[in-house]
Amino acid sequence: MIGKKLIKVFFLFIVLALLQLLPLDTAYAVPSFARQTGMPCNECHTIFPELTPFGRIFKLGGYVLSKSSKPYEFPPPLAGMVQVSYTDSKGLTSGVAPFDSNNRATDRINLPQQLSLFYGGRIYDKIGAFVQGTYDGVSNKIFLDITDIRYSNNAIVWDKNLIYGLTLNNSPTSQDVWNTTPAWGFPFASSGVSSTPAAGAIIDGALDQQVGGIGAYVYWNNLIYQEGTVYRTARNGITKPLGAGTTTEQVVDGAVPYWRLALEQRWKNHFFTIGTYGMQADIFPSGNRSGPTDRFTDIAFDAQYQYMGTIDPEHMQEHMQMDGEHMAKAGKHIITAHATWIHEDQDWKASFPFGNTANASDFLNTFRMNLNYYYRSHVGDIGGSIAYFSTTGKTDNLLYSPDSVGGSRTGSPNSDGFIFEADYLPWQKTKIALQYTVYNKFNGAHSNYDGFGRNASDNNTLYALVWLMF
Amino acid sequence: MKRILGCAVVVLFLGATPLLARSFEVNEFDKGKTLYKNKCQFCHGIRGDGKGPAAEPLLGHPVDFTDSKFWQDDVEKKINVEKKIEDTIKKGKEMMPAFDLAPDEIKAIISYMSHTFKKATQSNN
Repeated sequence: MIGKKLIKVFFLFIVLALLQLLPLDTAYAVPSFARQTGMPCNECHTIFPELTPFGRIFKLGGYVLSKSSKPYEFPPPLAGMVQVSYTDSKGLTSGVAPFDSNNRATDRINLPQQLSLFYGGRIYDKIGAFVQGTYDGVSNKIFLDITDIRYSNNAIVWDKNLIYGLTLNNSPTSQDVWNTTPAWGFPFASSGVSSTPAAGAIIDGALDQQVGGIGAYVYWNNLIYQEGTVYRTARNGITKPLGAGTTTEQVVDGAVPYWRLALEQRWKNHFFTIGTYGMQADIFPSGNRSGPTDRFTDIAFDAQYQYMGTIDPEHMQEHMQMDGEHMAKAGKHIITAHATWIHEDQDWKASFPFGNTANASDFLNTFRMNLNYYYRSHVGDIGGSIAYFSTTGKTDNLLYSPDSVGGSRTGSPNSDGFIFEADYLPWQKTKIALQYTVYNKFNGAHSNYDGFGRNASDNNTLYALVWLMF
Repeated sequence: MKRILGCAVVVLFLGATPLLARSFEVNEFDKGKTLYKNKCQFCHGIRGDGKGPAAEPLLGHPVDFTDSKFWQDDVEKKINVEKKIEDTIKKGKEMMPAFDLAPDEIKAIISYMSHTFKKATQSNN
């Protein structure tokens, strides 16, 4: 049995190694976008998937920027991704997911953690898409992952540039271009099998692939970004395809408005952004599809600082010769800092009368900040990140009740800790990451947080990841 | 009679030639305008001043076509400006990638740029 597993593991490694040898691109990390634009991946990414200022514009431009004169791309802009990971945390099992059918959700080795196929690029003329189909090795399921289909155009308004467009997407904040909002926020990848805190705001990933929505946005003078999107459930109706392969556990009632406002200002090679975003969702209590709903109102603020380094003309020549391609005109040293604070009001209009919560209303405050430093060296890109995260809220003994590992002895949702990460990209399409998550408090307490003797530090997680794009 | 008809054909042909040429020019101009809008405008701007929506995020500034210096031939390298533009489109330069455009498409873009931005610099001068 073990022998068969090893053969499968060995076979997969060979396949991954061969994928790296495919002459699809010499220096591109997101091949379909890179093939389409003729630009290297680090034009749009500091270290993928974090976006550079130009990457943000490319996304707002509808993914349609192309070196070809045809209104469509042929062959279609397809790309792939494989994530292979190892997780070490107390209580995990020694099997290999997905081959170990009994303990997939707790297996240390995920081979793959995720396997994705992308349609990334122009569909026709000014319509483009980022569509990700994913096989998840932990859940052993195939589903439509993040999907963002756009129409974009530009004009001059009040003597300044205006980018305007429409977005059709299935995960609130996935359409956003700053890496401060939840869908594309730090950490950019994390373990699929480690324990995570019980409490989280609705806008913080709970509605991913649970809804589908269409929105409009404008970005004026590289300064002001405004967006409004309306979502509805992906359980049925016209938005159902956007939740393909995912069980709709969070069924929203009616329309869910999402809003976003951001201001970006550049000073030399420094880019500063402040913004706000939020949504209001009426959600049926778990298991219900009709009747009363709970109301969640999320209001968030975010800020980003990005230093893109400087490069003199001599180094520019050196960079161009190094790859034989047009290297991004970023410096060798890149710094990015993100922060976001999300406040959520939870009005248990349905759950409280049903006896599912102890309070008629609760709240959550989520705060995250991280600092990333990247160095573009001759032997690849090297990066390091440090992050702090915190969730606090009102104690609710029914919502957060004692349970082994995932529960709370105190009824408090409070958790906080740090994440340390080191990244190395030997090639632009390969990322090797080592991440360590340290919990100071987990589900309300430092020690015996679950009422079953488990301490917050028992959830400290070492996570090693190999992330390949091809 | 035949002579009159022949003369008429010649006159018509001569008369139509400028119109055909103008029509061709207009078509090339329009084609170039569309191509410029789809391929160049995002960085170089609607006005060709190098201030398109993507210009600011690029750490280097895209070339300003409304600067008269841009339209000067490179005397040292003995390259005229049209050849310089053609080479840049075909091969890319610094941050600008190479574009897969046919010779007639490149010609159309140059035609549009010359008629729009070069003329603007001349009228400003």
